[in-house]
Amino acid sequence: MHATIQKPIDEITGYLRPGEKVFVVGCGNCAAKCHSGGAPETEEMAERLKKKGVEVAGWACTDSGVSLCKLAIVKKMLNETYQTETEKADSFLILACGQGIHTVMDATEGGMVHPGCDTIFGGETVTDDFITEYCSLCGECIVEYTGGLCPVTLCAKSLLNGPCGGAKDGKCEVDRTRDCGWQLIYDRLKELGRLEEMDKYQTPKNNSRWSRPRSLTMVESGATFKSLAGELSISRKD
Amino acid sequence: MSKLKDKLSSREFVVTGEIGPPKGVDISGCLHDAEQLRDYVTAINVTDLQSAVFRIGSLAVSCKLVERRLEPIYQLTCRDRNRLALQSDLLSAWALGIENVLCLTGDHPAMGDHTEAKPVYDLDSVQLIKAASTLNQGQDMSGHELDSKPSFFLGGVVTPGADPVEPQVIKMKKKIEAGAVFFQTQAVYEPDKLEDFMNRVQGFNVPVIAGIVILKGAAMAKFMNQNVAGITVPDSIIEEMSDTPKEDRKKQAVEITARIIRQVKPLCQGVHIMPLGWDELVPQVIKEAEL
Ligand code: SF4
Ligand code: SF4
Repeated sequence: MHATIQKPIDEITGYLRPGEKVFVVGCGNCAAKCHSGGAPETEEMAERLKKKGVEVAGWACTDSGVSLCKLAIVKKMLNETYQTETEKADSFLILACGQGIHTVMDATEGGMVHPGCDTIFGGETVTDDFITEYCSLCGECIVEYTGGLCPVTLCAKSLLNGPCGGAKDGKCEVDRTRDCGWQLIYDRLKELGRLEEMDKYQTPKNNSRWSRPRSLTMVESGATFKSLAGELSISRKD
Repeated sequence: MSKLKDKLSSREFVVTGEIGPPKGVDISGCLHDAEQLRDYVTAINVTDLQSAVFRIGSLAVSCKLVERRLEPIYQLTCRDRNRLALQSDLLSAWALGIENVLCLTGDHPAMGDHTEAKPVYDLDSVQLIKAASTLNQGQDMSGHELDSKPSFFLGGVVTPGADPVEPQVIKMKKKIEAGAVFFQTQAVYEPDKLEDFMNRVQGFNVPVIAGIVILKGAAMAKFMNQNVAGITVPDSIIEEMSDTPKEDRKKQAVEITARIIRQVKPLCQGVHIMPLGWDELVPQVIKEAEL
């Protein structure tokens, strides 16, 4: 899930030029779960903007559970279902992650878009009101050696070969309220009886697999991941 | 030829010191600190943006020590440079006459005075040691041949007082496998703990130089206990310092430091004295510690 948080309303109104008619778009999946851009928040944003004197052409949100980052769905929603309203709009305010913003731009063939949220991380929805980050999307997963816990994400320095000397009482040097990622990894490997995994030298990250923008193409039998590291094709059928 | 390497290889007990480069371009102060250590230490650590506070670089100051025929231990952290810059700075260091390199992770930018800086950590300290020893073998990290190669004397750091200490020991072993041939430790004030630690790492067969920060008073000791990971100043020392009038603090600092050095001497192969500005005390400490 992509975690997002709404931008302050004054920052958003500051983006809009005098007389600009805006159409507000929300996402029924991640942004809905973050309460930053589900249907209720999208409707509410339309109202808040009107109160601030902004001309709102309308609002729309994908169905509950449906992501805004699906181009076909957004095309249908904006160009068919809400055609009358979107035709009048000068721009779109998107209450979703950056992928959603671009999907709206694609769906409207280059429509003017404004970000209504800051996209903050990809995370696990631990409870309905708590999301936390366990993966940094590095393109080369090494959690086999760390008991399933990601050092790239859980260690403030993304260290791959063990802890720095900064942990105190199991907490990280950068924030004494935050667990040291390597303490968590060490405890877990010990519990699993796999502490010897920590002895293995981890090579430096191949950052070219982390180079953006990356893409993934799916075919019948597998997929191809494209990054600066080249094309990596994996078959699901072997 | 690195004197540090010579002495450690011939199993001599060594003393190393430390200077911190200033925030500015006038380095006469830290060179003066270094001069005070000249006759008493084998080599002097030059810190690399210590505590993630922006200052003049350790490469430049290490080079100035070389010019004055003082032997630097060039500290290089992973915080600010990617693998290109780290390897390049290493080659630069060798060309400038620097032989001893201490490879560290580095305090996170959040600890310093540029909290919005991007933390780099493209390599970690184990990987940096491996990269440096690969340069020693005449290759870069990508396997390309160098047209001439350095011969660094490579060190790592370890925190004997960490709790738990096992992850530190595991990482120390990885540093040795990566090419570290000597270690300096975080400050130790409890000889018992150091002894336990040394028992654990005995089989590693590498020289360990125990760190000691000169304590300026009870307040500093309490601050370190609360804020610095892996350092515990025992209550007995804090009590000893708590009623000392200001004018006697330096004398007492010498006494305490010398005593700890005498206690840890049989356990390790050297001491690393971090005077934090009280460099003028180092000669007296060494005398009282009977080194
Ligand atoms: S190692 Fe990479 S892919 Fe695996 S969890 Fe961590 S960031 Fe994600
Ligand atoms: S204290 Fe732990 S989590 Fe924090 S930077 Fe060091 S190893 Fe990483």
